Amino acid sequence: MNTTRKLGPIELEVITGTIRSAEVEIEAAVERAARSPMIRDQHDYRVGLYDARGRKLTGRSYGSLIEPVFEFFGDDINPGDVFFWNDPYNSAGSCGHVPDLCTTVPIFVGERLIGFSQVFGHHDDVGGCVPGSLPVQVHDQWGEGLVVPPIKLYDRGVLNETGFRIIERNSRLSEHLRGDIDSEIGACQLGSRRLVELAERYGIETLEAGFDGIIENCARTIREELFPKIEDGVYTFEDYIECDGFTRQLFAMRVTMTKTADKITLDFSGTDPEAEGPINWAIDYCEGRFVRKWMAPVLRCLASSPERAAEIDINEGALDVIDVVFPEKGTLVTPHFGRPTGLRFFILLRSLGIFAGALAKATGGQMPADHETIRIWGMHSRDEQGKLSLFREVLGGGGPGRPWADGSDVVHIVPNSRNLPAEFSEQRYPVLVEQLALRPDSGGAGKHRGGLGYDKRIRALKDCMLLSNADRTDLNPYGVNGGRAGGNYSILLQRADGTEEVLDGMVDNVPVRAGDVVRLCTTGGGGWGDPLARDPETVRYDVLCGNVTLATAEGRYGVRLVGEGPGLSVDAAGTEDLRAKLTAERGDVAMFDRGEHFDRIKADGGVRWPEGWTDPDDCLAGRS
Amino acid sequence: MTGSFRVSVDTGGTFTDVIGVDASSGELFAVKTPSNREDPSRALLEGVAKVLEAAGKTPEEIELVIHGTTTATNAVLEHEFDGIGLLVTTGFRHLIEIARQSVPDGYGNSYFWVKPPRIVPLHLVREVPERLAYDGTVLEPLDLGSVRTAAAELVAAGVNRLGVCLLHAYANDKHEREIGQMLAEEFPDLFVSLSSVVLPEYREYERAMTTLIDVMVKPYCKTYLGAAQRDLDKVTGGRPFLIMQSNGGVVSAETAGDKPVTMLLSGPAGGVLGAIEAARSAGVRDLITLDVGGTSTDVALIEDLKIRLTSETVIENYPVKVPMIDIATVGTGGGSIAWQGPGESLKVGPKSAGAYPGPISYGRGGTAPTVTDAAAILGRLPDALVGGELSLAKDAARSAFTGFGTQFGLSAEEAAAGVLEVAVIGQVAGIRQVSTLKGRDPSAYALVAFGGAGPLLANEVAEALGMRRVLVPPTPGNLSAFGLQVSDVKRDYVRTLVRDLDAGNDATVVDEIEKVWLELEAAGRGELRAEGVPTEQVSLVRGADLRYVGEGYEVSVVIDDLSGDDAVRAIEAAFHEEHNRVYGFSYAGEQQVEVVALRVQALGELHRPTLATAPRSGGGTPVPTGTRSVYWRSTGWIDCPTYDRAALGDGDSVAGPAIVEEYGSTYVVPTGWDATVDHFGNILSERKDA
Repeated sequence: MNTTRKLGPIELEVITGTIRSAEVEIEAAVERAARSPMIRDQHDYRVGLYDARGRKLTGRSYGSLIEPVFEFFGDDINPGDVFFWNDPYNSAGSCGHVPDLCTTVPIFVGERLIGFSQVFGHHDDVGGCVPGSLPVQVHDQWGEGLVVPPIKLYDRGVLNETGFRIIERNSRLSEHLRGDIDSEIGACQLGSRRLVELAERYGIETLEAGFDGIIENCARTIREELFPKIEDGVYTFEDYIECDGFTRQLFAMRVTMTKTADKITLDFSGTDPEAEGPINWAIDYCEGRFVRKWMAPVLRCLASSPERAAEIDINEGALDVIDVVFPEKGTLVTPHFGRPTGLRFFILLRSLGIFAGALAKATGGQMPADHETIRIWGMHSRDEQGKLSLFREVLGGGGPGRPWADGSDVVHIVPNSRNLPAEFSEQRYPVLVEQLALRPDSGGAGKHRGGLGYDKRIRALKDCMLLSNADRTDLNPYGVNGGRAGGNYSILLQRADGTEEVLDGMVDNVPVRAGDVVRLCTTGGGGWGDPLARDPETVRYDVLCGNVTLATAEGRYGVRLVGEGPGLSVDAAGTEDLRAKLTAERGDVAMFDRGEHFDRIKADGGVRWPEGWTDPDDCLAGRS
Repeated sequence: MTGSFRVSVDTGGTFTDVIGVDASSGELFAVKTPSNREDPSRALLEGVAKVLEAAGKTPEEIELVIHGTTTATNAVLEHEFDGIGLLVTTGFRHLIEIARQSVPDGYGNSYFWVKPPRIVPLHLVREVPERLAYDGTVLEPLDLGSVRTAAAELVAAGVNRLGVCLLHAYANDKHEREIGQMLAEEFPDLFVSLSSVVLPEYREYERAMTTLIDVMVKPYCKTYLGAAQRDLDKVTGGRPFLIMQSNGGVVSAETAGDKPVTMLLSGPAGGVLGAIEAARSAGVRDLITLDVGGTSTDVALIEDLKIRLTSETVIENYPVKVPMIDIATVGTGGGSIAWQGPGESLKVGPKSAGAYPGPISYGRGGTAPTVTDAAAILGRLPDALVGGELSLAKDAARSAFTGFGTQFGLSAEEAAAGVLEVAVIGQVAGIRQVSTLKGRDPSAYALVAFGGAGPLLANEVAEALGMRRVLVPPTPGNLSAFGLQVSDVKRDYVRTLVRDLDAGNDATVVDEIEKVWLELEAAGRGELRAEGVPTEQVSLVRGADLRYVGEGYEVSVVIDDLSGDDAVRAIEAAFHEEHNRVYGFSYAGEQQVEVVALRVQALGELHRPTLATAPRSGGGTPVPTGTRSVYWRSTGWIDCPTYDRAALGDGDSVAGPAIVEEYGSTYVVPTGWDATVDHFGNILSERKDA
């Protein structure tokens, strides 16, 4: 059926549905063939289909960019080419850090370019000074691992053997790297076939009209369905990273959000200067196209239900409704070339958090609280032959309290990312998992409380080195609309001799001896809404399950309980009295709560704003 | 066995299909009776009585009854969660709360996604002091006294079903066994499932969930199967009553009730077996099944006529890791409702008009336009269905589509054709799940279409996937019940044993592996004997799950009749080959391989009834029963000959466009396809080269 038809709703639905299922297929192909546990188990990879102009068509997840191909190769784009890079700066900010290797395949029907298929994944190791290629104490990107600017890994189907060998040689886990790159290319080619099939079925013109329709639908959905819930105006918000690997201080990312009827402008002016350590994020390229598409999905929280939110694909159409303004060169989001970026996942999450916070102010608090779910910890050792064994886990944290529900306990923002079963870890690594638990009270109190974080204990059965790449050991995920902050991250060593050592969240090489126990507690989500408005029965149930302690039930929720075990019940009169007393004592309820550590810093005058800024937290809670 | 009349009963959402086959003549009798959701055994008995009457047989002539049931599935879908408790190893109380920490679908959905409720609330989970190492070594002995206390507390809190999942119990079942014995003696009313019995495989969360699903459905299955067995015994005087399992094999009702988690696909499995039989008779070996019902479509991929099992099934967000036929289900069926989605998009399903009120054209009060209505007004369906019993109200359907189309600026025909096209995309997505998502190219397979609405869009589904052959078996509406007739007794055994193969040179490792296989085989032989299968009819197939050292994923392989070192070398070679097939690469000779689990499948072949299916010889070019105007988007309205399937004979051939009508189904052969009837009454259509 090689006929060209004009685009109608049926063609648009079929093209949209096919591209959606192609995205799932490409993901499955990556997972099937990749080698790195970071990709296969932790699912740290993203895929995308793009049109011939490099506009993103798929929308389940964010993606990299096609612009580096145009910038470096112009018209020299041919069937059989495979483009490849991991350079955070020379890729127009489309790769956040060097472990993300990005593969791009142009899609042709005959000689006509119709689009691109792209996959990037987080590889286990691309060299650098620490196994796993995420060093904490590193001064520039050359210490983080091999940096590859956009190159042709295949030129008209011919492998650049030399380039490939150099890349492979630079990894401590080269056989993983080879498998991973092959899987990315194979998956891209699968995606290409789906677009070609559509072109053969509907003709290129109809297909390209379909691409326009998909992109317009995204912009229209945001504008017509989500924008009316946000009050027009100017709103500021900020959040912080607490350490750059060298210095413990507040590193602020700031945003001024201007909302009009058909546009949101996010101005990052006022963001703190770039850091010496690896917490920078180079996004000030290509009109900020990467970060605009990255941040837009936060708007889905304003959909009428979580089910509806999950249906809304965010593609290139986001650019039509979101603009960005960057400060001058030399800030955390506009770092000078070569600044280290390995742990940019902190600021990546902060960017979502400050957007959500600004939206909370513009919606009377009808946005989820904050959650922090990316951190990596691990242990590495070498066997008698010097072969590296790298045990790494990405442990999630509590989800945010939100207007419609409590936060989910221990989740991960990366979709389908899975933890390691204890029964797998113990077979594979010299460890004994002594506890896999949730930490009581770690979820921020609220009408809808934040989800709980982990309390996991692992005994090392062999001497090894420990690493931790984690933020939020001091600061907490914020609570919204009267909800309280979630609990923070901690990692400590219980030595076999009975002593205990609290470790810094950002460490590269801490010696651990056989018999020592590592205890990890991860962050809870911020709470949403007034804890004194939480249904006392729900508080009773949380106490019965051990999610909330009796002390918190009284102190934070104002709920008096009597009895114990199955006999635990709410003292209704006592609760009413206590809640009346707590309400009178506290006065006005603030929109945001960042936790006690922050409050202390603030009380000591440790939070300072740039010229023209006032305290963005100076705002009262809305209805809950 | 005295009787020679074999009865199969397939319980569906609306109807219970019953087939009886007279083994002496090969004659087949099919009847339908309304399903009874409240008391399914009543529909079962009614169906058996009805088929006996239709065949003029007495109950004494029944050889055996084979049953496909949705009891287990319904209990899961209806969330019968109250009163379930769980015992775990100390330190793991939050095991199922934490699950695998994963959030489905898109990036950042953790902001709004809400974790579904756990099957067991946290306050009904108790920790048991004990600990095993991964190799089964006891690190801390079991404290049975505290188990007793915990069980008493849980029972006092209203628990009537209890799952037990201790860490590494797959490697050593000692502690779970002791707990099981104590509970049986001291808490006889409690339903109990032990993880080492249900699924002796590593990965504690998935094992715990599978165990909990098992114990959750146990009372429902035991009650239903017990009642059905008692009632049937009264009729048949105790002929065997066999239950279809998710693995495509049958076991006695008693065995099924003891491990009911194996019954979750009891319903759809029969259709897959029926499709395989039809394909076998038609000379097709690689096929994809397309079973389209009123609300959903089930698809499965079959290679070389062999069922492929998966242990990756997820039901209602809960992983169930016992081996099941790899079936994908999508929410598009004949009754799926068309609607306008956000952004003025044209959507079909997953909401369905179901059996009641049903599509508009059924004239039973349905008001929402459905796939069936779209097919009706485009002339794809005749004016009346089920042999003229159900007249289609095509005018009402057309006026509904006129209104529906206006929203999109489309005519009624264009809108209806669009609905069919979007329905096709839904079924295509289902097939991609079992094919391309698993590294298989669907164009290399034939599509076998059945269920009432399967043959309607089959060729268009095939075209969208580049498939070139479509097979429509005789009486496609009854294929699931027919499939039950051709099943075998089948049981799966698995045990985790993690060992580095290292080219199989290590004699100790070979011995260990052989020992486990022998134990699993002995269990298989013993249990099949208890099922009444004579030893000479039992065959045993060895298999294993393997992975490259360091990977977290296994690949399952089976091997021919080999033992010892030969068997170990064979599984390793088969692993590299299968890895290459599924993932597109292997590291034969480069990377160490480890075995993770050993499997045995015990098969007891039941003798199969010979079916007298061959129709009369056809004349090659059959005479149409008439002509109807039929609409396709690419052609507009065109005249299309219609045929009565019952009148088509062996060797008859029709060229598309054509419509083939029969009692329970309508087969649409579009332009570009040639359809031929074979000796067994199958219609096989092939795509002509464009």
